[in-house]
Amino acid sequence: MNTRTAELRTLSTGAYYTLLGFVTIAALLPVAWVVISSFKTNPQILSDAGSLPNPVTFDGYRNAFTDVELTRALMNTFIYAVGGTVGALITGFFAAYPTSRLAFPGRQALVVAFSLALAIPLVGLIVPEFFIVRYLGLFDTRIGLILFYSAMFFPLSFVILRAFLVSLPYELEEAATIDGAGYFTILFRVVAPLAIPGLATVAVLVFIFIWNEFFFAQLLTISFENLNVQTTLAQFRSAFQRDTAAQLAGTTVAMAVPITAFLLLQRYVIAGLTAGSSR
Amino acid sequence: MGRSIALSLLPGSLLFAVFILIPLAVLLATSFTDWDARLLEFTRIDNYRRLVSDQVFWKALGNTALYAAAGVLIQVPLGVAVGIVLAEHIRGWKIFRAVLFTPVVISGAAFALIFANVYNPRYGILNWALDLVGIQGPDWLFNVNTSLLAVSGTFVFNIGLFMVLTMTEVAAVPIEILESAQVDGASRLQRQIHIVLPLLRHVTGTCVLLSLLATLGFFDIVFILTRGGPADTTVTLAVYAYRLYTAGQWGYANTVGVLIVVAGLLMIMVMRRMFRIGERPL
Repeated sequence: MNTRTAELRTLSTGAYYTLLGFVTIAALLPVAWVVISSFKTNPQILSDAGSLPNPVTFDGYRNAFTDVELTRALMNTFIYAVGGTVGALITGFFAAYPTSRLAFPGRQALVVAFSLALAIPLVGLIVPEFFIVRYLGLFDTRIGLILFYSAMFFPLSFVILRAFLVSLPYELEEAATIDGAGYFTILFRVVAPLAIPGLATVAVLVFIFIWNEFFFAQLLTISFENLNVQTTLAQFRSAFQRDTAAQLAGTTVAMAVPITAFLLLQRYVIAGLTAGSSR
Repeated sequence: MGRSIALSLLPGSLLFAVFILIPLAVLLATSFTDWDARLLEFTRIDNYRRLVSDQVFWKALGNTALYAAAGVLIQVPLGVAVGIVLAEHIRGWKIFRAVLFTPVVISGAAFALIFANVYNPRYGILNWALDLVGIQGPDWLFNVNTSLLAVSGTFVFNIGLFMVLTMTEVAAVPIEILESAQVDGASRLQRQIHIVLPLLRHVTGTCVLLSLLATLGFFDIVFILTRGGPADTTVTLAVYAYRLYTAGQWGYANTVGVLIVVAGLLMIMVMRRMFRIGERPL
């Protein structure tokens, strides 16, 4: 390597870290500031934005859990997220298997329809979704929201799982078929175990998405008992404006779950989003 | 066998029909009606005519376009650039990837609360920092001159998704091409600009499309932060449709909804053509 290239190399490395440093600060500083400030008292938050918590206090957290029903909101969100994830996972897997590995009439039309549904901006469907959910007697019920989320994330689950199943070798089921195993036996005993990485990817991703969902939780539930954590956060903004510490603490708690899930299961989250977005 | 296949397709198809297909049909049909709590009446294309002279609708459309511009001109290029850089596996790339991806898993509602505090004129960190350099910052969210900028600021640095998509794509660039360029004496920066970037046409298109689709459904942050105000300076199509829904103008809300859905489908078709996205077999 001659001197000129070496110089250019140092130059571009410097430029790289400048870019990364700038973007990291711009993206993370607001988040970090909120997390840090959540350990301050209200007077300290209001008087001294740029300081570290002194002393470190958990008042905000205590108030967030007592003044608003944050515990129940977290429980609800967990129920919605687990229920919706299981729903999307089962329906997605059951639909992805035949459309990826078997031939039958109408297969291509189904694949196109389900895949296209991934890109439909569902927020446009406010009024019809509200009335259909109400018509089915599911308005403001936990099961209603779980079913809705299953449907909302069925296309994503379908697309990711189908991409995964297509890549598995075909000899698998052939052997099982010769042994006389039926459709569902093959599905559960042969295909499902091999699809575990794909299923895990979908599970983590959909769990995080449902945990973070605000729009349809706001549209399809109304009573305090059924609110999820995101709609509860939104209420902080209006009703508990005064207790800033509690607001920041609640926000931190709401973020902590998906961030932890992501950091522990990074590989699956990134693989899933990459597969789900580029198709 | 046929029965088993049908049985296996049934649950997903049922959910798809009930919560996606039927709502789409209802949306389209009732977008041609005057529909509120008392009546449901077919009014042909009146709602669509009303759009033309509806000031708030044009405001919402204009703002949505501006948010889209912020996404396409700032968020996507930053994400692609950072993705190219990290794909070089420079020191610390794994940490940067994890850190910069983290905002992707933070909800819109949480971001709304974060920025409600960051922009707070009394104790927010932004005006505190500006104060250090002697600038008195405005009430970012509730000043008609800064509100749109402030709302755009909540998402333009959320680049993690575009970053990882780019990284995956760069990893697929054949190593021989890069090596032969190196032999020819191309510097790292030159290599990236002249060789890697053109090969990223496909993934850049995907990023642009995802960014546009996100803007089309942009709701949570705006709704929680400003409800579309002040003076409709931040309102989006989705927020406007929701506002019409709460006002009980269901037919007209659906007309706006149809535009959102049609715009989404159109974008996909146009972008597929332009960037050859999705040409791998379904």
